[in-house]
Amino acid sequence: MSLTKKRGRGVAAAWYGIARTAAMDQAGAWAEIDDGGSAKISTGVTEIGEGILTVLAQVAADELGVKPENVMIGENDTSRSPEAAHAGATRQTYMIGNAVALACRGARQKLFDVMAKEWKVEANTIKAHNGEIWSEGTNYKMEMSEAIHICKKKYGVIPVAGENYTSHHTGLDPVDGSGRPWQAYVFGGQVAEVEVDTATGEVQLLGIWACHDVGKAINPKGVEGQIEGGVVQAVGQALMENYELDKGRTKSGSFAKYILPTSLDVPKVTSKIVEDPDPLSPLGAKGIGEPAMVPTSPAIMNAIYDAIGVRIKSLPATPEKILNALKEKKQNGSRNIN
Amino acid sequence: MPNLELKLTINGRKIKKTTFSHYRLLDFLREDLDLTGTKEGCGAGECGTCSVFINGKLVKSCLVPAAKADGAKIETVEGLGNPEQMSHIQKAFCATGASQCGFCIPGMVMAATSTLRNNPKANLEQIKEEMGGNICRCTGYQKIFDAVEMARDVINKEKSEKVFDEYEKPKNSFIGANVKRIDAPSKVTGRLKYAADMKLPNMLHMQVLRSDRPHAKILNIDLTKAKKIDGVRGIVTCDDVPGIDNFGVFIEDQPVLAKDKVRYVGEAIVAVAADTVEQARDAINAIKIKYKDLPAIYDPEEALKEKILIHEHYKTNLVKHIPIRKGNTEEAFKKADLIIEDEFSTQPVEHAYLEPMAGVSYVDQDGVLTIVSPSQNITHHRHMMAKIMNLPIHKVRFIMSPVGGGFGGKEDMIYQGMLALLATKTRQPIKYVMTREEDIVSTAKRHPSRTKYKMGLTKEGKILAVEISMLADGGAYGCSTEGVMRKAAILGAGPYNIENLKMDTRGVYTNNTPSGAFRSFGALQTEFATESMLDIAAEKLQMDPFEIRRINAFVKGNLTHTKQELNSASINTVLNELEKLSNWEKGPPQSRGQIRKDTFSKDNRDACELGARLKSNGNGKRVNR
Repeated sequence: MSLTKKRGRGVAAAWYGIARTAAMDQAGAWAEIDDGGSAKISTGVTEIGEGILTVLAQVAADELGVKPENVMIGENDTSRSPEAAHAGATRQTYMIGNAVALACRGARQKLFDVMAKEWKVEANTIKAHNGEIWSEGTNYKMEMSEAIHICKKKYGVIPVAGENYTSHHTGLDPVDGSGRPWQAYVFGGQVAEVEVDTATGEVQLLGIWACHDVGKAINPKGVEGQIEGGVVQAVGQALMENYELDKGRTKSGSFAKYILPTSLDVPKVTSKIVEDPDPLSPLGAKGIGEPAMVPTSPAIMNAIYDAIGVRIKSLPATPEKILNALKEKKQNGSRNIN
Repeated sequence: MPNLELKLTINGRKIKKTTFSHYRLLDFLREDLDLTGTKEGCGAGECGTCSVFINGKLVKSCLVPAAKADGAKIETVEGLGNPEQMSHIQKAFCATGASQCGFCIPGMVMAATSTLRNNPKANLEQIKEEMGGNICRCTGYQKIFDAVEMARDVINKEKSEKVFDEYEKPKNSFIGANVKRIDAPSKVTGRLKYAADMKLPNMLHMQVLRSDRPHAKILNIDLTKAKKIDGVRGIVTCDDVPGIDNFGVFIEDQPVLAKDKVRYVGEAIVAVAADTVEQARDAINAIKIKYKDLPAIYDPEEALKEKILIHEHYKTNLVKHIPIRKGNTEEAFKKADLIIEDEFSTQPVEHAYLEPMAGVSYVDQDGVLTIVSPSQNITHHRHMMAKIMNLPIHKVRFIMSPVGGGFGGKEDMIYQGMLALLATKTRQPIKYVMTREEDIVSTAKRHPSRTKYKMGLTKEGKILAVEISMLADGGAYGCSTEGVMRKAAILGAGPYNIENLKMDTRGVYTNNTPSGAFRSFGALQTEFATESMLDIAAEKLQMDPFEIRRINAFVKGNLTHTKQELNSASINTVLNELEKLSNWEKGPPQSRGQIRKDTFSKDNRDACELGARLKSNGNGKRVNR
């Protein structure tokens, strides 16, 4: 190992609020158990990449007793689907996930009430999972496709329901800022390991250990994907990206001039999910999109300090900044350098 | 007129077609053959979303003139498989969850295919090297690497094809199960249609004239020559807006097209719709604008002096100030054993979603103005559009197309208004796709910030008081500045029980590119300062950095900085788990990197070394460090 290459580690913690800030948040959804034991969900959601369609398919499948691959989710259309507001603020799983869960419970109840009549059992003995429906403690059991056929053709009932989920937030006091901006909070922390080349000033982020509370992980692999993606966006923020302006004119107006993390810049990420369910929501799940990238930059700066004894307080920690800081440290012995 | 005759083989089919001589291979594939799986992310060979094979060699089709493909064998993502019959690599991408927004994924699948065709036994480092020309903004690459390694092992028969379908199916519930992404097959095969992939009959193409001045009065807009250009069907300026002309996520301060003056370089002034993109561009180039330059502000400190106003009618450059007050910091500092003061700053950052802004607009048979775009907030956009177009709200319809990455960048309604004006004026569908350069210059960035920080602690490491003051550059328009300031203020002091807090965040107008919503929304800027301060304090107090955080961490029942009682707080659990997970060696943060024993574990990637990969023998043997 070269003498100029120094390793170091640093840690940082973070917290974040889930859903719209300091204002009521609400989302609506419609659910229908459809022919063939499938499910039709309509809500104001379009996939933006976080995996929300899969999360909603899992939630709907779980609540309705159908298979996730048999869940159809409609388009997000202000004239055709219920309002679920914006795709941001780490609110999709929390707001729309809970809205879909509640709508599905309504639709399911209609089917269960019919099947209770059909089987002459109490509705609360009826369960459904993975395309099958049965009455606990009896021999009654059938495919969901058959049950939905009976429900429609014999009883004339379409199991359909609409619901909404509300997260109760208040605004902040204009003088002292007091208020209840969110009802659910998440917490996280990351350790970063870097190698700094004191000859070139280059920092390589080699490892991230990330631990995040998400309430309840509906799809753990999806949560990991959000953590890994968040970490790598933070690598850009911490080490290379900079939208530079000169008198209002950009100096980084193309991808040739604006440096982004590539496959060669990314650390290995080891994730651990903590589950502290939200006591106020049906699913218990909270969120991960934004909180995933909050602790990364300070963990990297703390690791750089550990490696070479200079503290970078101005992002990004470019090679030029590292070299200048090292030079200044050598000149005046100071460890506290911008 | 098309005048270039091409004969070539595409995905095994012989094709003879006349196209435009100025087309790139990318245009030929997308426009003439509707092979829209090949995406345009940057148009400059930097991002890899347009990767295809020409005679078996991986190339970026945005860099290849269509004429050069004459006689060649071309393979696109559509040729590798379809959602029912996917290639091993496509199946592996589905299995590992390698696709998120999916916009880079066709290019990634092509690059992965090239990697394993050239070197079926490529090791992880070689995979990374081969895929280095393709950018992904969502996944962090890890699950993409996992996918290529999985496909490699199946291709080499080291693993059975069953791995593609393996996931633990829980017995009683789908909650907590790694169900495969339901949107993955359409993404890995290039079948999913994003806004830029849409075509409608009689569709016109929009182009936009943008300001090259940071702050200037518009004296005159001369459209005479532009109107005479062949194919031009409609031109709109601010004068064409029928309703109340402003929009914005929190403060509605931005006109659809610049009114009277421009406030930043890149601001839209005129929009043109024409039969082709080229005609619309010609028209834009023929427009003459007479400006009178105004003195401008580029520094947020200058903005606070109020000598120049960016929005005169507000009488101030302050967009939003959020104060938080808890306890009495002055008194608490008197009791502190240690007081540290410092300053931190963060830079503006581009979202760099791989899908540039794009949208389609039309007025339907019932007179409903319809806009299809990857907007992150169609609920709010519909409200604003109804007001701008002076229409009842049910006569405005927004459809959210699949989003090729957003990260907050697609919350601003910055181009949909122009589409609506031209669709209404021409009664023809209008399409707009930004170039990467246009997208970078005109869309909002992460707020650059400067933070002044003062923290007082006991010698045991308990935080007694904190004062934070952050100033952020909001740029020319309000966008999400108000919300970003709020979140920065509420969360900035971190997950710690602090009894005395004085927090102020301020966002101001300048003549810089607007700042807006970006993943982590202000909390990133202020929490960065807090987490740096805690390590500075820990060194001075000779404490372990985990320890100083645990001593201060919130517990259930604590009051947050906004005096809300916490019904749950997992920060201690998180820190304990993290300490175990990272196998952390305890000790104060005093640059002990060279003596600590917890570094160099297998959970790190290999460091890149200059020329290291040239030394690799290509048989999977690792290069010595």
